[in-house]
Amino acid sequence: MSITYLEAIREAQAKALRDDPRVFIYGQDVGAFGGAFKATKGLAKEFPGRVLDSPIAEDAMAGLAIGAALEGMRPILEMQFADFSTVAFNQIVNQAATMFWRTNISCPITVRLPCGGTAGSGPFHSQTMEAIYAHYPGLVVLTPATVEDAYSMLLEAVAIDDPVIFCEHKFLYYHLKADALPTEALPVGKARIARVGRDLTLVTYSAMVHESLAAADELRSEGWEVEVVDLRSVKPLDTDTVIASVARTGRLLCVGEAWPWGGVTAEVITRVVCEGYDLLDAPPQRLNAKDTPVPYHPNLWSAHRPTATSIAAAARKVLQR
Amino acid sequence: MVQSVSEPQSAGDVSATRDLHIKAYRFMLLARVLDDKLASLYRAGKILGGVFLGRGQEALSVSIGVGLREGDVFAPLIRDMAGRLAFNESVLDAARTFLGSSLGPMRGRDGNIHRGRPKEGQLAMISHLGAMISVVTGTLFARRMRGVKGTVGVACCGDGSTSTGSFHEAMNQAAVEKLPLVMVVADNQYAYSTPTERQFACRSLVDRAVGYGISGHEVDGTNLSACLKVVGDAIERARAGEGPQLVVASLLRLCGHGEHDDAHYIETKLKASDLGRDCVKLAEAYLSQQSWADAASLASWRSEAIQKVEEATTAAQREPGPDPFVENYWAALSTKNLLEGNE
Amino acid sequence: MPQVPIIMPQLGESIAEATIVSYLVKPGDTVEADQDIIEVETNKANMNVVSPSRGVIEKLTAQIGESYPVGAVLGEIQVSKEDAHRSGMDTEHVDKVRSDAKHGTTTENGKTSQARVQPTVHGLPVPAHAAGAGYISPRLKARMNELGLHAADLAGVAGSGAAGRVTVEDFEKYIASLEKQKLTPASSMRIAVADAMRRSWTRPLATVGMPVNLDPLLVHRKAQANKPGPALYALRALALALSENSAPAGRLVGSNIVHPSSIDVGFAVEADDGVLVPVIRNADKQKLAELVDRYNKLVELARARKLPADATGGSIATVTNYGTFGLTIATPIPLPEQTILLGMGAGRKSQRWDEKTEKFVPVTEAHLTLSFDHRVLDGGAAGRLLGRVIYLMMHPQEL
Repeated sequence: MSITYLEAIREAQAKALRDDPRVFIYGQDVGAFGGAFKATKGLAKEFPGRVLDSPIAEDAMAGLAIGAALEGMRPILEMQFADFSTVAFNQIVNQAATMFWRTNISCPITVRLPCGGTAGSGPFHSQTMEAIYAHYPGLVVLTPATVEDAYSMLLEAVAIDDPVIFCEHKFLYYHLKADALPTEALPVGKARIARVGRDLTLVTYSAMVHESLAAADELRSEGWEVEVVDLRSVKPLDTDTVIASVARTGRLLCVGEAWPWGGVTAEVITRVVCEGYDLLDAPPQRLNAKDTPVPYHPNLWSAHRPTATSIAAAARKVLQR
Repeated sequence: MVQSVSEPQSAGDVSATRDLHIKAYRFMLLARVLDDKLASLYRAGKILGGVFLGRGQEALSVSIGVGLREGDVFAPLIRDMAGRLAFNESVLDAARTFLGSSLGPMRGRDGNIHRGRPKEGQLAMISHLGAMISVVTGTLFARRMRGVKGTVGVACCGDGSTSTGSFHEAMNQAAVEKLPLVMVVADNQYAYSTPTERQFACRSLVDRAVGYGISGHEVDGTNLSACLKVVGDAIERARAGEGPQLVVASLLRLCGHGEHDDAHYIETKLKASDLGRDCVKLAEAYLSQQSWADAASLASWRSEAIQKVEEATTAAQREPGPDPFVENYWAALSTKNLLEGNE
Repeated sequence: MPQVPIIMPQLGESIAEATIVSYLVKPGDTVEADQDIIEVETNKANMNVVSPSRGVIEKLTAQIGESYPVGAVLGEIQVSKEDAHRSGMDTEHVDKVRSDAKHGTTTENGKTSQARVQPTVHGLPVPAHAAGAGYISPRLKARMNELGLHAADLAGVAGSGAAGRVTVEDFEKYIASLEKQKLTPASSMRIAVADAMRRSWTRPLATVGMPVNLDPLLVHRKAQANKPGPALYALRALALALSENSAPAGRLVGSNIVHPSSIDVGFAVEADDGVLVPVIRNADKQKLAELVDRYNKLVELARARKLPADATGGSIATVTNYGTFGLTIATPIPLPEQTILLGMGAGRKSQRWDEKTEKFVPVTEAHLTLSFDHRVLDGGAAGRLLGRVIYLMMHPQEL
């Protein structure tokens, strides 16, 4: 049996709908059509009246989810592409994220964002938005990198009483497979050591975890052992695990698919420098996408984001300092 | 367009109508006295941040408050002091929020009109105009899913809000979902300083109802009786399952956009027209004309309102503001173990 | 009756001040709460200041035509206790946080003060690339501190990092390799001396030398009952020379010369694993013969590591007799808290040219060296001091 990242997301939603009558799914084309990426295929039939098509109105979709959450429901909002969530941005960051702090009433919505690019997807179907949402207080931001995490973290997201931004990666949807769904998992808020190493700590998340593992394999043939840390959740960020790893290796490279300015990589490096300055044997570095909109042409796209090759090159620079 | 008020049918109807008018008027009076007090506290430097009043809109707003029942949902906006008080808000809640008392419903975290008690059906607005409407729709949507019947949701906004994308998205969504939403638009001729000819190009905002596929109703916002009837009807239609209702009232804002604004841009001829009449004075005149109240009862209601307002504002002024060094203030998540430390 | 100030209110969001146009009441008038009492003009419109409470106008102090900022006092009103209570004016509770938030930093008359910030003119030099043998990373520095090591200890470590820098891995490998070799703990004496020498070496040190004819001293010594050691002759000579001019023993601290207060001179005694320096206090004030017993006692105590606290420290110069090791010449390092160190080599028979007889004659000779902190002394002063010491040693009856 083999299950893809996308199927894991579907299974998690099915389980949530089954186990908790407060859960419903709302989004464009999620009903009979099963969603643009088939993340809800078959669910409208299995759970009639609970998997509903919305008009193209991300602001009102988010507002509706918030209102429903106030009434005690647990809505899962599917944005067709992360890039379109900017239309809902106001409701998410100014209404959902402030609800508890302002009124002492929790807002348990889960917003699923299909993030990241594939060759040819272009500027408005490729964005990774975790940094923008993480910046606002009152949100939990998750970036699962594995099939197992896509499953268990989505279930946990629905169970969390606060608004959760669930950043799924489209490239991993069909490409990433696992043998089985997990029976246990690390909780949200804890990072995972995806590969044990010795010479360098490479902190990353989402699709870049896989590129980083490939880079680590390349570097092993040169005698370097790179430790890869999969953040899993970007907010809260597991600073302890990152610092413990840098304590072991003395060197840090952060890799992210998003843009450099104020991104997750900037945040991780800041924390390590502030709290673990004396652990560093070389200046920390980061690798991000180029500071331009995401290009359409595959030639440009593959040069725009970090790849296993460019990650290995960046790692060498840090290792050889 | 002025809706005429039809004659009551029976004695029972008459006393019900009389009681309703008196109840509504007294809340209008209370709202006006409170608004005036807030304005003077503002000028005395006692209030932090802006003060936004509802002078001139009491008749429309109070009609919502008295038309709703316990268990309904209400998303008031900037000029709804009368509606809030009539629905379920205490004068003390309002006073405490404006005066920054940590004991108010927003506990110092938000102020002035951004207040509410969502669990009791009164939503706490955010500043982005139009954003509250889909939240009301969402609560109605959830209730339907849960099998809760017979409740209604009212959202308020002004002429300016109707230009926003969020207004449009929410109205369309409510219509598609056929939810019992009553959208009450107070067309007070100006959005801050922007007159309506710079805000929309259709004949009247009520014409948009057709576009959404819902019922629209116009009313003279200065006339309490008309408002009670039209707003009350719209609420009952929604409650009866007729889908979303749009009510557009015409009136004039009788204050600045905020108390920092002297509203010099409001055209004198508008102020002098019927639109510019004070609905509180008109209501008093109507009550007197109907012999439902005399000078003595009006005076006694007024002094009672003044006393309530004085008590609440005096009490609120004596209360402490929030203490920033108390831990509770710096948690933005309700899930404690997911909080990151705040230095 | 309480008096309540009439304050210029917040008349609008961006309004910071207003001009007094006219008074609508006068002192002595009774006013109601919220009654208009002063007409003011702002840059937006004419507005009215209202009375904060019911009461009697006591005085109106603002000038017509003058401008006052928000928060300025414009007059006073006398208010009855009940009215003060009703308008919340007798409340003792001062909501400091709120008032700070409203007025920001205020001076007495309510104007906000703004310190003028001077832009930085002088920048710090920007270091070049952090690489090379001299670069020590934060981690390496932290580890060195932990182990009590200094840059000097890294001399034995070859760096594999960029441009030969020592990485923390290189360092840990080195420490680990040391553990494979025989390690004995250094005594605390050794560590103390190492630390003192390292600190002393941070100064620019130099040494000058001259030979001294020991024959007069040897003759003098033979005639004594209590035989003074050769180092004691040198010590006493140095003490006398310094009492004549103590400048060479001064210390440079920043831009000041710290002058010695008393001529206390120490002398080096080898003890176990290191060197101790007992001190003869006021060595200039006692004659040589009087110092012998004290000197010998101190040598004994030092060797036994039983020197009392008052017998060490605080000396302004030190004498070391490295001749006892057979050394003829040496460049010892002055104590870190001292400027000069007088050293004496082993005495030997030498040939010296005698001008008078125009022949080489045999003499017993030793080299005398003066090691010094070159920040305080130059060669000339060092030479003159050494010369005077030598003269005195060759005229021992003066000691």
